[in-house]
Amino acid sequence: MAPPLFVGDVTLPLQFLDRKQSRTQSHAMLFFSYFKDLVGREVTVELKNDLAIRGTLISVDQYLNIKLENTRAVDQDNFPHMLSVRNCFIRGSVVRYVQLPPEGVDVDLLHDATRREARGG
Amino acid sequence: MLPLSLLKTAQGHPMLVELKNGETYNGHLVNCDTWMNIHLREVICTSKDGDRFWRMPECYIRGNTIKYLRVPDEVIDKVQEDTKSRSDRKPPGVGRGRGRGRDEGPAGRQGKGIGRGVDDGAAKGGGRGRGGPAGKPSGSKGMNYQPSVYLTCWPQVV
Amino acid sequence: MSCIYDFSILSTTSLSCIRVSEMSAGTLESLVGQTISVITNDGRIIVGVLRGFDQATNIILDESHERVYSTKIGVQQLVLGLYIIRGDNISVVGEVDEELDASLDLEKLKAHPLKPVVH
Repeated sequence: MAPPLFVGDVTLPLQFLDRKQSRTQSHAMLFFSYFKDLVGREVTVELKNDLAIRGTLISVDQYLNIKLENTRAVDQDNFPHMLSVRNCFIRGSVVRYVQLPPEGVDVDLLHDATRREARGG
Repeated sequence: MLPLSLLKTAQGHPMLVELKNGETYNGHLVNCDTWMNIHLREVICTSKDGDRFWRMPECYIRGNTIKYLRVPDEVIDKVQEDTKSRSDRKPPGVGRGRGRGRDEGPAGRQGKGIGRGVDDGAAKGGGRGRGGPAGKPSGSKGMNYQPSVYLTCWPQVV
Repeated sequence: MSCIYDFSILSTTSLSCIRVSEMSAGTLESLVGQTISVITNDGRIIVGVLRGFDQATNIILDESHERVYSTKIGVQQLVLGLYIIRGDNISVVGEVDEELDASLDLEKLKAHPLKPVVH
């Protein structure tokens, strides 16, 4: 049985996307949906300016922009720049790492989703 | 209120534009478009370190090289929000759903946004563009290299 | 063998592509009219009132000022006024808790300036 088409193929008007675009889109979608499932969990987001922010994941969008609540800088002594900020919006393009709670990672499920995508691409 | 509506409203007003390379341009806004490309008149350009200045009658700045724009405070009170043309003003490249638009063809990269007149600025100079006064020829970016500023005549050192 | 990722995506995106693309906009909507603190890619911190934004995260900041951090002297505040900040130059948009902010003694707060973002 042919593997099911991945979502990127299902929802996007393909005639306007070349193959490469649709593939990058579907990759983004895997992470997008993965992060959506992490909503409500506590994560640490390390930015490309070395600032690391910890907070509860409130929302994520297709660009992997992230909204956190109850935020604090991990190293508040060296990064007091956001002391008066308790919730924030982080642009996806400046995120270096997202540290996940161990219980938020279902390795088998991720393996499976990744394989599907590799096959579908 | 959309940032580009505010920018459009700032037509005719003086403004300061800082580019990602640190240069700043002070001038009066002639026009702008949905990519934030802007056309300035009576411009003074300041180098990144702030110690060199150039004067030029006009310049055309590519939107994606802009860091921020400083606009006179009173402009925000002049913005009239008309929601009916809101969909026309969406910046390009966002929302993959573009192709499904009622009357926007897939070839609509140009959009039918505001500010087509801006193109005239660069066109008058025969379409030639030179990098900004202190612009490094960062040709290492290869095919994607685009000048950040287009001039219609040589800048004058002040 | 069903995969929850596939389902969650299908349920939200198949309704309309536009819905998804507007989600990013939704995240800043709640901050309009509030005082926000913006960290830009070049490491500046600009505080002002959010008046508007678009899908590219371009934002309008009113009554804004820059907070300049240094290790020698406390935080310096520079008045900037009305700004349009381009989205691709923005790292973080934080909602300023006015009460917390008022309790900070900025003049005594010393820190290294933030580093610029390196992609």
